[in-house]
Amino acid sequence: MSRVDTADTERTCKVMPEHRGIEEVRRFAELAVSYCDAECREATAMVATELAENIVKYGTKGASPFVGTVSIAAKADMVRITARNEVASARDALSVKQAIGQISATNDVMALYRSRLAKLFSSPSLPRAQLGLLRAAFEGGFRLSCSYDPPTLSIVAERGCKTL
Amino acid sequence: MQLRVRRPIDIDSLRVELMAPAELRLAGSLVADSAQNEIGRHLGELHAHMVEKKFSSLTVDVRGLAFVNSSALRIFVDLVSRAQGAGYRLIFDLDSSITWHRLSFSVLKSLAPDSVQIRNHAPAGGGRGS
Repeated sequence: MSRVDTADTERTCKVMPEHRGIEEVRRFAELAVSYCDAECREATAMVATELAENIVKYGTKGASPFVGTVSIAAKADMVRITARNEVASARDALSVKQAIGQISATNDVMALYRSRLAKLFSSPSLPRAQLGLLRAAFEGGFRLSCSYDPPTLSIVAERGCKTL
Repeated sequence: MQLRVRRPIDIDSLRVELMAPAELRLAGSLVADSAQNEIGRHLGELHAHMVEKKFSSLTVDVRGLAFVNSSALRIFVDLVSRAQGAGYRLIFDLDSSITWHRLSFSVLKSLAPDSVQIRNHAPAGGGRGS
């Protein structure tokens, strides 16, 4: 794992372009919030893993051997996860922005999640589950935001957190 | 069917064990694409076995399944879809202290309420160490 400290409370894990990179981010996340309560630990590990999986699947490598980064800042009462990666096309980035905009705008994220599961239920041949961001909001309780500064896509996930 | 009663199979960090002819236990974590494909194949065979033997219900104990990614959740969606189509009932044993168990399986049940039963259990030892 390649990890650098970027601020007092934020640590960054560079993501390698293979499944091992996702596992490393998961362990990194578990360590980063090890002093938080169980619910926060579980949610943070899940969301960091989902974001890392998206980076590995859809990120582009560029000159670096890594496909992106996942940073975690944990303070006394909140945790923030930031995923950054370069994307191959503006269309992909805009698609993510649109999905996050929809999730952020709703008052009923469970309904969005259920709607996606229902679609998968009725259409088993759909090639992609596309549940990761919904899961971050629904199961993890994270607020999501997104920015695109070509070619870099940044996704920020934040939630309240209790320390032990 | 490759799965045999009381003969656990380890797929990456996932342990799959048939505890009885219609009782499956999953434990560990399910993240890797290769593991998802393999467990998907086993569940397909188990479904065919359920239909052939005309079992009325399949119990799936996921209490020890600590973590899955969102792609892997689809395996459970497919399982529910198959059970509903074949007319047998799925009984999921959950650990109520694990957030994704509580939330995702309750939404799954809402998709096929007549085909899915959820049994919530307190965690072994009574807590999660927090």
